[in-house]
Amino acid sequence: MMEFLATHTPGVMHWLVLSAVLFSIGLYGLLTRRNAVGILLSVELMLNSAAFNFVVFNKFVVPATVDGELMAIFVIAVAAAEVVVGMAIFVALFRYRNTIDVNRMNLMKN
Amino acid sequence: MIGDAVYTIMFYALSVAAVLLALLVVNTRRLLRAAIWLMGVLVASAGLYAMLGYEFLGGVQILVYVGGIVVLIVFAIMLTSSADLLEDNPAPMRKIVGAIASIGFLAVTVAALLGSQFPLLRGGIQPGNDAAALGLKLLDYGPRGYVLPFEIISLLLLAAVIGGIVIARKVPPTDQPFTTGGDLPGEADVSRPRQQLRDEELTDITGGGQ
Repeated sequence: MMEFLATHTPGVMHWLVLSAVLFSIGLYGLLTRRNAVGILLSVELMLNSAAFNFVVFNKFVVPATVDGELMAIFVIAVAAAEVVVGMAIFVALFRYRNTIDVNRMNLMKN
Repeated sequence: MIGDAVYTIMFYALSVAAVLLALLVVNTRRLLRAAIWLMGVLVASAGLYAMLGYEFLGGVQILVYVGGIVVLIVFAIMLTSSADLLEDNPAPMRKIVGAIASIGFLAVTVAALLGSQFPLLRGGIQPGNDAAALGLKLLDYGPRGYVLPFEIISLLLLAAVIGGIVIARKVPPTDQPFTTGGDLPGEADVSRPRQQLRDEELTDITGGGQ
């Protein structure tokens, strides 16, 4: 058992598949949620898995540099900016329309 | 040997936790719980970063993502009173379409991954001090440095803060004078009825201002 576990340490494919699974779950949430904050949560999941991919490639392809790690930090900073603006927009929308259901955001339809 | 076994066990434990929590994030009907479960996903990712050898990044993840972004999302949920409402279950058609799209994406991605060869380099030299190398790279203005993106990110964050304040602030009705809501001494309190406010202003202008 110990032997098996020690010889089956996760390789690059394991990490990448994990990241792809997380991204797909975020995509599912993005497509099925109706509340705008729920969509924002799904987008956070997807951003997180994208940053994860950068780190995995940094570790396994160019371990002597820190470029992937830097990209992950940039992704985190952009996610922070996105959430700030998103929250402001949702609060303003809620004040005007009393809902943040994206199915009812059809002002420009007619 | 034992270290490798523990490494494997930790990888699978953290990834199973992350995937289950992510499924809960997208499936729960209570958004506040979804935010808390997202926190769990992010903590698990921080653990995975640490396992890969990027402890500093794991720390940043916990500080900024878990401590900042999730708290902001909880604010957004509270301020839009989404916490009180149970979100409707999505229509079955929408669920099916979403599942097909995401599983299709996963299948295509995994197929592409399995069919590609990466120039793997396992035994590279890790920089001795992770955070120091990161800081040097971030402020390096040479051809491979990141000082320009760094400055752009700082401008972006500033713009986001200002934009957030401007979008979410309360717009006063146009027929009322600008007030700070009674913060300055001598200024009318906006919480009083408007007619009373007008009367007081009139007396201020005509009588009290001398």
